[in-house]
Amino acid sequence: MLEIFFGEYKGENYIPNPDIYFDNQHEDEWMEEMLTKQMVSDIDKSKVIGPHLIDSPFLGPIPPERLSGGVKTLIMIDHDYEHVFNASACGDNCAKWLLKICETEDRLVRLGYIMNFGDNKFTIKINNTGKIVHSMSELMDELIDHDLFPYFFRVPSLHSSRSHHMDRGRLPYPCPLSPCTL
Amino acid sequence: MVGKYRIEVNNKYTKYFLTVQRNFTILQGNSATGKTELIRLLSQYEENGEASGVHVSCDVPVHVLRGRFWEEDIEHFHNSIIFLDESEQYAKTKEFAETAQKNDNYFFIVNRDPLHELSYSINEIYTFRNAAASQKYHEDFRVYNEMVPLNNSLISKYLSETAIRKIARQMPSEILPEEYKNA
Repeated sequence: MLEIFFGEYKGENYIPNPDIYFDNQHEDEWMEEMLTKQMVSDIDKSKVIGPHLIDSPFLGPIPPERLSGGVKTLIMIDHDYEHVFNASACGDNCAKWLLKICETEDRLVRLGYIMNFGDNKFTIKINNTGKIVHSMSELMDELIDHDLFPYFFRVPSLHSSRSHHMDRGRLPYPCPLSPCTL
Repeated sequence: MVGKYRIEVNNKYTKYFLTVQRNFTILQGNSATGKTELIRLLSQYEENGEASGVHVSCDVPVHVLRGRFWEEDIEHFHNSIIFLDESEQYAKTKEFAETAQKNDNYFFIVNRDPLHELSYSINEIYTFRNAAASQKYHEDFRVYNEMVPLNNSLISKYLSETAIRKIARQMPSEILPEEYKNA
């Protein structure tokens, strides 16, 4: 099952930069596994030729180190259960693969943004509260009910003494209720 | 620093079209859209100039800020556009915000996490739209990357009306749309 910690994770086994960690820790054999090849194909639109060579339609022939941060993070999550990886390195297009990896493995990851896991039912445990959710609506409700939601949309404190810079009349920070988000 | 600046970055295979017009521009979006590759190309250009094989076109200097000596490095940059990758964890700190906000540079930051300490407009959050070589550009690159506004409404559709009103009650009234002020 996928378990997510939302916010700033402080554990000693936390890897904030999985991109660099992959460059220095991945195993050659991981690159030849079916799931790895599927993820590289889907996310990077590239083909794994061998453990040291990927054929990218955009970058040409590249080593694994030039893969996207998202797919590198997924490969590390799939193989390294001792560390908690920063899944903010993964975009929304990695969400289905994160769920797939955790169909057969339990993994805890950290997220600093609300990844879109889509409209289909899923099973995710929110580490901050212990609740298991099965849809994006449930996930959002749980974050709101436990005051985790403001972390993602920067609700300022009413008592903040910090002055807010108004950029030509626009809001100084993303507002979830602004016209471009609803 | 004021004004709008266009930046074009390319090597033999990839071309980027960027526009920067505010103190802070945020780049987010899906994986494998070319965000890290952009920073890599700019870093190579900054180290080796045109001899890197990377071409950068902009009316002001362009720099990449990396590593833990960012405070010292930033003092050397003026009236420039400074790029930061998501690996630069200090971008979330109060120290960086204080330095950047009283700075005379523009900042272009690749990061999916909210940067609470920075004041930036929701209209300055972008993603890349990739296009394979096409007749639009009449040039022979494998891929073109254009900045387009990021559509955040994909997440908002999952908010129930109850959830929206709960959020509205937590926010200062001066930033609320009119219909939520009595939530």
